[in-house]
Amino acid sequence: MAKSRFTRLDAFTKTVEDARIRTTSGGIVTIVSLIVVFFLSWGEWRDYRRIEVHPELIVDKGRGERMEIHLNISFPRVPCELLTLDVMDVSGEQQHGVQHGVKKTRLRPQSEGGGPIDSKTLSLHAADETATHLDPSYCGPCYGANPPSNAAKPGCCQTCDEVRNAYAEASWAFGKGEGVEQCEREHYAEKLDEQRHEGCRIEGGLRVNKVIGNFHLAPGRSFSNGNMHVHDLKNYWDTPVQGGHSFTHTIHHLRFGPQLPDDVGKKLGNKNLPWTNHHLNPLDNTHQETDDPNYNYMYFVKIVPTSYLPLGWEKRFSGFREDHGAEIGAFGKGGDGSIETHQYSVTSHKRSLAGGDDSAEGHQERLHSKGGIPGVFFSYDISPMKVINREERAKTFIGFVAGLCAIVGGTLTVAAAVDRAMFEGGIRLKKLRSKDL
Amino acid sequence: MMNGYDEKHAMDEDPFAAKGGIVSAFDAFPKSKPQYVQRTAGGGKWTVAMMVVSAILFWSELARWWRGSETHTFAVEKGVSHILDINLDIVVRMKCADLHVNVQDAAGDRILAASKLKHDPTNWAQWADARGIHKLGRDENGRRITGEGWTVDHDEGFGEEHVHDIVSLGRRKARWGKTPRLWGAEGDSCRIYGSLELNKVQGDFHITARGHGYMEFGEHLDHNSFNFSHVISELSFGPYLPSLTNPLDGTVDTTAAHFHKFQYFMSVVPTVYSLGDPSRMGSRSVVTNQYAVTEQSREVNEQTIPGIFFKYDIEPILLNIVESRDPFFVFCIKIINILSGALVAGHWGYRLSDWLVDVLGKRRRSGRSEGMLGSSKKGGAFHDD
Repeated sequence: MAKSRFTRLDAFTKTVEDARIRTTSGGIVTIVSLIVVFFLSWGEWRDYRRIEVHPELIVDKGRGERMEIHLNISFPRVPCELLTLDVMDVSGEQQHGVQHGVKKTRLRPQSEGGGPIDSKTLSLHAADETATHLDPSYCGPCYGANPPSNAAKPGCCQTCDEVRNAYAEASWAFGKGEGVEQCEREHYAEKLDEQRHEGCRIEGGLRVNKVIGNFHLAPGRSFSNGNMHVHDLKNYWDTPVQGGHSFTHTIHHLRFGPQLPDDVGKKLGNKNLPWTNHHLNPLDNTHQETDDPNYNYMYFVKIVPTSYLPLGWEKRFSGFREDHGAEIGAFGKGGDGSIETHQYSVTSHKRSLAGGDDSAEGHQERLHSKGGIPGVFFSYDISPMKVINREERAKTFIGFVAGLCAIVGGTLTVAAAVDRAMFEGGIRLKKLRSKDL
Repeated sequence: MMNGYDEKHAMDEDPFAAKGGIVSAFDAFPKSKPQYVQRTAGGGKWTVAMMVVSAILFWSELARWWRGSETHTFAVEKGVSHILDINLDIVVRMKCADLHVNVQDAAGDRILAASKLKHDPTNWAQWADARGIHKLGRDENGRRITGEGWTVDHDEGFGEEHVHDIVSLGRRKARWGKTPRLWGAEGDSCRIYGSLELNKVQGDFHITARGHGYMEFGEHLDHNSFNFSHVISELSFGPYLPSLTNPLDGTVDTTAAHFHKFQYFMSVVPTVYSLGDPSRMGSRSVVTNQYAVTEQSREVNEQTIPGIFFKYDIEPILLNIVESRDPFFVFCIKIINILSGALVAGHWGYRLSDWLVDVLGKRRRSGRSEGMLGSSKKGGAFHDD
């Protein structure tokens, strides 16, 4: 064996076989330490395979985006015919009586259980009542209002609906349509009264600008008069229903943007803790009840943009896309598996339109303002901060290897020390014993 | 399998016997027979040095473990909220009967705060020159607070107390201090204090003069009795925890003008301080609110309503500050790692020094001087440093 200069530097000196002792205690220590190494390595491997979700907080730099509101709310005591959904925001954009993307389902009266009414049978009814058999030269009068711009026959009000639209555009109250021939022909008043005891479920999505705004569900046609927003409440007040209508409601669902899949929700941690980043819509399955027709509910919603980036999304990233033509519900879901959505925090408030104090809730000092529109109002505000939930491996491969080395090395070193102590202790003990003898 | 070997061991009479058993064949740590082991003074010194180093490392690690670490996390507030408490203790240099305290908020409610808060006549001089009273943004000596210098005492650099202090303070019983007794004379100021429930929405809490601002109450007040100089001893949101300091606590703002409008713009951030991992049992938490404030105050003309206005808004993102300590088991593993690392490093260091001494010694021996013989041991000592 050639003795180089490095021989002295050998950290792994070997004892000549003759000078070695193998002891039982050493064997046990070895076995135990091997078990420990296996156990710890397994833990390290699990740690390496684990995917963590790291929340980050950034300033939202996206601009000009639109946002989707998905809602599903039941009103057991307001018929669909009376319910209107309006959206308004600070940019000045208003959507009155949103129809597109929103479906209204008539609900059976509460006394009959409140289930949904089959919509097929309804459309059958409607088919034979439409005014298709009119004289081709017929031009219905608009009763002093300007004909609606989207009328089937320009300059005329052919149907009851068109008369109502014309009235709404002129900011006139319409009522039940007494004396309006189109409405009498279509039995508008009768149909309305037929529905009086029914409830309504409104569900669907709408797209709004991502700016401060509000949307509300209130009775009657709405129109803007100057910068006033007005609802035609005549039909809401003049009701044959005992006790009147009321804005008792159940929010089954309210979210801004797509829902995170369940498996993603699981990864985000325990949802019972108030401080995890578990995505939760606080208003889901909440219920508010009142018998007072003059009642107004307000929800102050603060929206926090949130995105969820799964593992490896960068590789599949295909650039930002903003497709305004996309169907409602298609927003926010990337082909790379990333999800752009919104979380929100909410404060609820309710008051009677008659004003008065809040002594019912034990706050005599709180005076409610008077007047307004009965209904359910959501006013939303967008937070400048954005939460990014990013999936990451807890450890890199190199980190895993390093951890493995640390475990093996550490355990063996400690085991060697223990073994040495046992060996020397044993020798001492033996010596003592032999002295005693 | 392993158990079988253990049983065998249990039957063994003398575990230290150097017999060639089956278990002992597994011994990966063969010991040298004592007669082959050499103990050197150099090695001894290295051992001592290594023990010192290990002790230092152990001690610092223990201290770090004991101190724990603070983590700041955030989340969007869960649940549907309704109310928010406000606690305030403010002295205004006007008579109590001349003041109106109201809240107007985005929900359209007006809260007659005056009916829920206590009013005590008091003397201005007793409050304005009290200890610890300072202007907003300045310390007690009138110097501007720049936010520098936090690093000295505060590890995190956030200018906050430690979480365990806050949590223990949060458990203390809250009570409002007494107003100093008025001896004879009628007080020139009014102390308004107490807690009040607000709607948890953006709002405006204001103190104005009777007959100004609200149409319906009180007769018109003489303009010369207006003086909205004030001392804020406490202004906080959430449960009343007087020991936690808020930015407006202990601030004074004075004016000589009758028509002066003080405005405070506040952003309220819900905050949870917890001690220990909140998902585990036995952790303690304090749920409170912090706020950021900007002051804007100016003299106004007679058409504007003078007064003190607190405009608040609530942030949707909740801050969670956790102070936690690693589990003891994890700490043990860390200690073992460090100690064994030191052990191995020491061993290598010893070998390296030994080798260096040897090489140098050889060179010297082969050189001119024979007088340096036997320097290897000294060399060993030298390398200890």
